[in-house]
Amino acid sequence: MSPPDSEVILEARGIVRRYPGTVALKDVTYRVYRNQVNVLIGENGAGKSTMMRILAGVETQDEGELFLDGSTIRLRSPRDAASHGISIVHQELSVLSNLSLAENIFAGREPVKKGIFLDRATEERRSADALRRLRKPMDVRTLAGFISLGCRQVVEVARTLDQGARILILDEPTSALSNTEADSLFQVIAELKRSGVTIIYISHRLNELLHLGDQFTVLRSGKVVGEAPREAVSRQWIIESMSGRDRTSSVLQPHDRSFSKVMIELKRVCLPAICGEQDVQAAITDVSFRLGGGEILGIYGLLGAGRTELMECLAGKRRVVDGEILISGTPVVIGSINDAERHGIFLVPEDRQRDGLFPELSIRENITLGVRRRPLINLKEETLRAKQIAKELNIAVSDFELPVAALSGGNQQKVLIARCLLRSPVILLLDEPTRGVDVGAKAEIYAILRRLAEGGLSIVFTSSEIEETQALADRALVLCQGYIAAELARGEMTDQALFSAASPLVTGSSPYVSGVVSGVARA
Amino acid sequence: MTSTTLHPIRSGRAAVSSVRTILFLLRARAILVLIALIILFSILAPTFFSANNLPILAKHVAISAILAIGMTFVILTGGIDLSVGSVAGLGGMTIGYLLTQGIRFGGKIHYPPVVLAIVITLAVCCCVGVVNGWLVSKAGVAPFIATLGTLYVARGAALLISNGKTFPNLAGIAVRGNTGFPALGQSLFLGLPLPVWMMLILFAVAVVIALRTPLGRQVYAVGGSERAARLAGIQVTRVKAFTYLASSFCAALVGLIIASQLEAAHPATGESFELNAIAAVVLGGTSLMGGRGSVAGSLIGACIIGVLSDGLVMLGISEFWQMVIKGLVIVFAVAIDQVQSRVQAKFLPLLLASATEAGK
Repeated sequence: MSPPDSEVILEARGIVRRYPGTVALKDVTYRVYRNQVNVLIGENGAGKSTMMRILAGVETQDEGELFLDGSTIRLRSPRDAASHGISIVHQELSVLSNLSLAENIFAGREPVKKGIFLDRATEERRSADALRRLRKPMDVRTLAGFISLGCRQVVEVARTLDQGARILILDEPTSALSNTEADSLFQVIAELKRSGVTIIYISHRLNELLHLGDQFTVLRSGKVVGEAPREAVSRQWIIESMSGRDRTSSVLQPHDRSFSKVMIELKRVCLPAICGEQDVQAAITDVSFRLGGGEILGIYGLLGAGRTELMECLAGKRRVVDGEILISGTPVVIGSINDAERHGIFLVPEDRQRDGLFPELSIRENITLGVRRRPLINLKEETLRAKQIAKELNIAVSDFELPVAALSGGNQQKVLIARCLLRSPVILLLDEPTRGVDVGAKAEIYAILRRLAEGGLSIVFTSSEIEETQALADRALVLCQGYIAAELARGEMTDQALFSAASPLVTGSSPYVSGVVSGVARA
Repeated sequence: MTSTTLHPIRSGRAAVSSVRTILFLLRARAILVLIALIILFSILAPTFFSANNLPILAKHVAISAILAIGMTFVILTGGIDLSVGSVAGLGGMTIGYLLTQGIRFGGKIHYPPVVLAIVITLAVCCCVGVVNGWLVSKAGVAPFIATLGTLYVARGAALLISNGKTFPNLAGIAVRGNTGFPALGQSLFLGLPLPVWMMLILFAVAVVIALRTPLGRQVYAVGGSERAARLAGIQVTRVKAFTYLASSFCAALVGLIIASQLEAAHPATGESFELNAIAAVVLGGTSLMGGRGSVAGSLIGACIIGVLSDGLVMLGISEFWQMVIKGLVIVFAVAIDQVQSRVQAKFLPLLLASATEAGK
C-alpha cells in the first residue's frame, strides 16, 4: 500500500478510547511513516485530536498498544512522550505570553549553571539556534505576547526541536494563521523534514494537505476509513472518505423556498483581528449579505475563518468597525448584547459550557433566565412556561429542578434554544448548533430549526460540517479567512463547492494545487 | 492580521515613541509616587526626612516589606495568602512560649537556647505554609478559601498557646541560658537596625530566585497560564507549594521581629497584616491575576505604604482619615494598573508592527 522506501516509525495498534457516553476511538490502527508528512484527516469529532493526545502522552488509551520502531512503548505523560522524541504543538497555542521567546522555548526544562542559577546565555544561544534552523531568526528576548500568531507557532516548534523531537505532531497549526504566516510554516515543515523529523499533520484545509502531505489517513467516527500515499490521493477521494457514503442529509429533504422580506442586511461589514495575550480572533472583511424572513442561512467555514466573530458582531458582542447593518431597511448600531436583544436577535453560542449554560442552576432557571419580567419571580408561571417550551422542543426531562449539567448535549442545546425562544426572537443565531451532540439529537435539532423557520423565524447558523450545512441551510455563505468566498443556493451546495471555497489558497508554488480553486471569488 | 483591517493608528515612529513613553511612565508609577510622597512629606513635616526619623521609618517598612516579598511569589502564580498575619502572630507566640515556658520533656522543663527556639518557631510556621501549599495545589481548594481557613486556624492556635494571654519578658534569664532574643529586632549593624538588614537580604535572595533560577521562571510561567505551563512540563504543584512555603517563612520572620522588638508576644499580633502585604504587592504593580510583577515592585509598594502612614502620623492627621487616604491610594493604584493594561492592549498592534520591523 505504501511505497517501499517509507518505513513505519510509529504504530498505534487496536486503540480504543472511551469517554463517558461515547467511544472516541474504536479499534484504530494508525501508522506513521518515517521522515514523511503524515496527514490525518477527519471531520469534527472523528477522533483525530484524541488520537494525537494519546500519541503525545496527554491521554492514555483504554485498549491497544503503541509501537515505536517496532518495540512497545507506554506513554503516561507528555514527559514520557518527549523522552521518546514525540512532541506536539497543540491546537490552542500554549505559548506563555508573559515570558520571552527563549524562556518559552525552555519552559519546564531550564538549563542551569552552578546547580541553581539559570543559564541564560545557553538558553538564548540554543533558542536562537533552533529558530535559525527553522529559518526564522527572531530576537529571543522579545516577549512572546508581542509576536504574531505565526511566530508563536514557530516558537513552539522550536521548543520541540530543541528537545530533540523525532516525531512532531501539528494539530491544526494553520487554523489561526494568515496566508503568509501559513506559507512560512510550510517552509518550516519542509526544513524539519529535510533534517529527518517525522511530521504528523492535522488540518481541515484541503489545498494545504494536498500540498504538504506524503501519507494520508482518514478517520471517521472513531475509525480509520482510508489510508493512502500521496500518489493515490485525490481531492475527491479525501472528501468522499471523510464524509462517507451513508449521508444523513437526505433525512430532511428541504425544498427550495423563496423569501421576499429582508429582515437584516449587512453591507461591507469589517472587524479587525484581535491578537491579545490570551484571546485571538479572526478578522472579518467586507462581509455583505441579506437574510429573508423565515430563511435559514448557513455560514460554512473552517476553524479561524471568522464564523464566530461574524455571529458575535450580529449578537452585539463585538462592535462593527466599518460597514453597515440594516434591520428592516433602517441602519442600526448593535453595540451591545442589549441592543441586539431590542432588535430581537439572540445567539446560541458555540461553547455552551462556557458561554451558554449555568451548570449549577436548574433546567427551569436555565430556560427562563434573562426573560424580561416583573420584579418578583412568579415560580408557578415560570415553571409553566419552561414546561411549555420544553414540550415544544421535545426536551425530555422528568424534573425541571435538576441541574442542567445532568442533561445530554442535545438537550442542553435545546435548553439554550428554548431560552432564546422565550424572549420572542426575530432572528436566531446559532454558532455550531450541533457541536458535541449525538446523531439522533442532531436530526431532531435540524427538524426543530426548520419548523421554527417555517413559522417565520429567520435563522443564521455557522458550521464547520459540510453535511450540516447541506441538511439545514436554504442558502449558504462560505467564509474563508474573513471573506465571503462563495454564496451557494440550495442546489449548488455540493461537497466540492463548499470545501473548495472554504480552503484558503496555498500561495507557495506547488504542482499539487489544482485548478479547482479558480472559481473562488475574492473581494 | 490583514493590513486593511488594522486601526488607522499606523502613524509611524513618533507615535510609537510617545506610546512607549506613556507606557514607561505608567509602569514606573510606583517609584514616581514614592518619590512624590517623600518630597511632599519632607516639605510639610521638616522632621520627616531626618536622621532620627529614618531608622524608625525603615523599621516600619521592613515589617510590611518582608511580608510583601513572600506574598509576591504567591500572587505571581495567581494565588493569594491571607494567612500571613496569623502566621506572624503564631510565630510570636511560639517563640514566647519556648523562651518563657520551655519544653516539658522527661519530667523536666528544658529551655532551648535562642537560636534553637528561633529555628523551631520557623519550622512551626512553615508547617502552615506546607498545609496552604497542599490545600491549593493538591486538594484544589481555591487559594482565597484555603488561606482564609489557615488564617483562622493559625490565629486560634496562637490564642490557645497562652490561653489568650501575653507572654512578657522575652529577654530571657541567664540561668536558663536563653538570653539575647531582643537583639534580633533591636540591635544595630553598621548603623541600620537588624530587621532592615534582614529585609535587604531577603530582598536580594528573592530577586535572585525570581530572576535567576528556574524556580522563579516557573513561578511566572504558572501565573501566565497554568495550562500552558503544565503542557510545557512544568511541575505546577511543586511551584505553587514553594510559593506558600516562602510566604509563611517570611511571615514567621515578621512574627519573630515584632516579638523581639516588644520583648513580649501578644496573640493578636499581626491582625490585618495580610491586607497591608497584599496592598504593597499590588501597589508595586504585580497583577492579582498572576504572571506579571516583580519583587522590587513589592518593596517599593511597601515603602509607599510605610512612608504614607508614618508621614500622615507626623502631619497629625487623624487615624480615621489615614485609613480613608490609604484606601483611596490602593484603589487608585489598581485603577491605574487597569489603564496600563488597556493602553497596552490598544497599542499592541502598533508595538507589534514596530517590534517586527526592528526584528527585520
